[in-house]
Amino acid sequence: MIRFTSLARLALSEYFVLALTLVWLLAMLPFVPGLGTPENLKNIVSSALPLLILAVGQTIVMISGGIDLSVTAVIAWASITGGLTISADGGLLAGHALAPAAGVIAMLACGLFAGLLNGLAVAVFRIPAFLATLTSMTFFGGLAIWMTKSKNLHRLPEAFNAIGREMPLSALVTVLVAVLAWWLLRGSNAGRWFYALGANPRAALVSGVPVKAVTFAAYAASGLCAALASVLYTGRLETASPVMGQRVLLDVIGAVVIGGVSLTGGRGELHWTAFGVFFMTVIDNSLNLLGLSNFGILMAKGLVILAAALVDSWRNRYAAA
Amino acid sequence: MDSRATKLVTVLALAAGLAGCATGPRQTVVGVAFETLQTEYWVASRNAIEAELKKQGAQMLEAIADGDANRQMEQVRNFIARRVDGIIVVPKDAQTVIPMIRDANAANIPIVLFNRPPAKSDAKSVSVVADNYSITKETVTYLAQQATKLPGKRKAAILMGDLADMNAISRRDGFEDALKPFSGRIEIVSRIPTEWNQEKALAGITNALQAHPDIDFIFTSSDLLLPSIVSALKNAGKYHKTGEPGHVWLAAFDGDATAYRMLKEGYLDADGVQDVGFDTAETVRAVLALKAGTTLPAIIVDKGFVITRDNMAQMAPRMWGANLSGK
Repeated sequence: MIRFTSLARLALSEYFVLALTLVWLLAMLPFVPGLGTPENLKNIVSSALPLLILAVGQTIVMISGGIDLSVTAVIAWASITGGLTISADGGLLAGHALAPAAGVIAMLACGLFAGLLNGLAVAVFRIPAFLATLTSMTFFGGLAIWMTKSKNLHRLPEAFNAIGREMPLSALVTVLVAVLAWWLLRGSNAGRWFYALGANPRAALVSGVPVKAVTFAAYAASGLCAALASVLYTGRLETASPVMGQRVLLDVIGAVVIGGVSLTGGRGELHWTAFGVFFMTVIDNSLNLLGLSNFGILMAKGLVILAAALVDSWRNRYAAA
Repeated sequence: MDSRATKLVTVLALAAGLAGCATGPRQTVVGVAFETLQTEYWVASRNAIEAELKKQGAQMLEAIADGDANRQMEQVRNFIARRVDGIIVVPKDAQTVIPMIRDANAANIPIVLFNRPPAKSDAKSVSVVADNYSITKETVTYLAQQATKLPGKRKAAILMGDLADMNAISRRDGFEDALKPFSGRIEIVSRIPTEWNQEKALAGITNALQAHPDIDFIFTSSDLLLPSIVSALKNAGKYHKTGEPGHVWLAAFDGDATAYRMLKEGYLDADGVQDVGFDTAETVRAVLALKAGTTLPAIIVDKGFVITRDNMAQMAPRMWGANLSGK
């Protein structure tokens, strides 16, 4: 029998969100046909992959004390740039054997550029991260629409589409991103700088942390992750779109915060973010399969996330006490 | 992971196994995925599909993508994972739905597209769509005939939809072709892209009225954009009823409650109407027939009709917007 103290210990542990997700899955299984089937579990993982890549980038930025609202616009801009590079409907390298690789490189370049621009605004011009990335969200969102006059681009190379459509490939990309990000945060000496900057920027500066370089690196990482997520989103829809990913911002920030990464910086782990992403995806999937009306799903999702946030806030207070 | 966590995972796996073993007869379940519910037309269609499925003894499982094609793909995959008996999709556009159709084909689950047909591909589906081209052509022809009864030349504008949507393209083509016989009397001076967005429509029509203050003939590819037109015309001092001096000849497409009210009040001259009752009944019939193994044509056409101030009394009972507004 699980005693109260054990439950309290679980609630205070870093695996709390994972446990909550598993309990939710367990509780929903009798009511949601097909929820526990291997096909649906594969579906949950497939849906979580691009969100996890986005959330990894956001985690690095948030640990360093910032926030990146521009990820949705970067997804769209990278998507349409990739399309203009490789689409058989007039893409620059249409039909070229190296087009898929060139498309990915062009998209990553977009992410890197947007990230560095955000870094410049925050680190050099000292614009608050919220405002800087909100502005770049507007700019890159508009740029994406302007580039094709809001038209979608189709007929992308099969090899490119496969990155988003074939789960082993998407999973491989996601795992590589996660491992690289883990190494950056926890395996390298520079990792401590991100935490130090997020915990106390002034103290970090005094302690010799290269604050500007770390800020640049955080936003560059986030931009690159957004571009990589864009590769997955674009590939699986076989369409480059200037409005790609417009609605994912709340899911990304929600997943990272529910995972336990601090909005004020200095605290967080990549596996917490992974738990948050898993939680958000499972909630979405199970409510979708439950047969609730759309309004019911939205309300239930809001309530479940609110409950998770309340429990998280409660456990943080007790953990600090 | 400690022993408690191991126990939890074990229980979860057992429960998953039990859930997977559940057997017995079950109700027919149809997954219905709408791109959005942001217009009266989609809400009326959703409600009619739900009522029709209920009438046929089937359960509706719904998902709304809020304009996000990736989310819609995840929702369709969820339906497939749940092994629904059929899927009805209102796709965001003609291309992004193709991978979804392929997934449904691979799972051997029938899929019917409501209102928006897919682009050409090897993916197999059935679409129930209004004859957008013909309904628009008939609507605009009527408007042109009325407008050219008066002396002088007319200056025309069209508000186009999202040109990634086949319906928007057909409606634009219907408009252009309807005005060809009137080329000596009606000149098209503005083609306004809106992407089905009211704000873009308002900015576009406002700019067009500034550039061409003599525009006196407007067709909008959707009733959704009528409020934007009304606002722009009011600001320009050009919002007058039929028969009043300065009236701008106005026609639209869909058949919603706003269009019906404007027709009754005399501001709108004609409206191309999609027959929601026919479309939804055919969509449900198609998905159930496909499930039963019946072969259907790839496109089921709703011929629709045109409602004007002349035939309003006769046609209003068939106009879904008139029914919504309680006539």
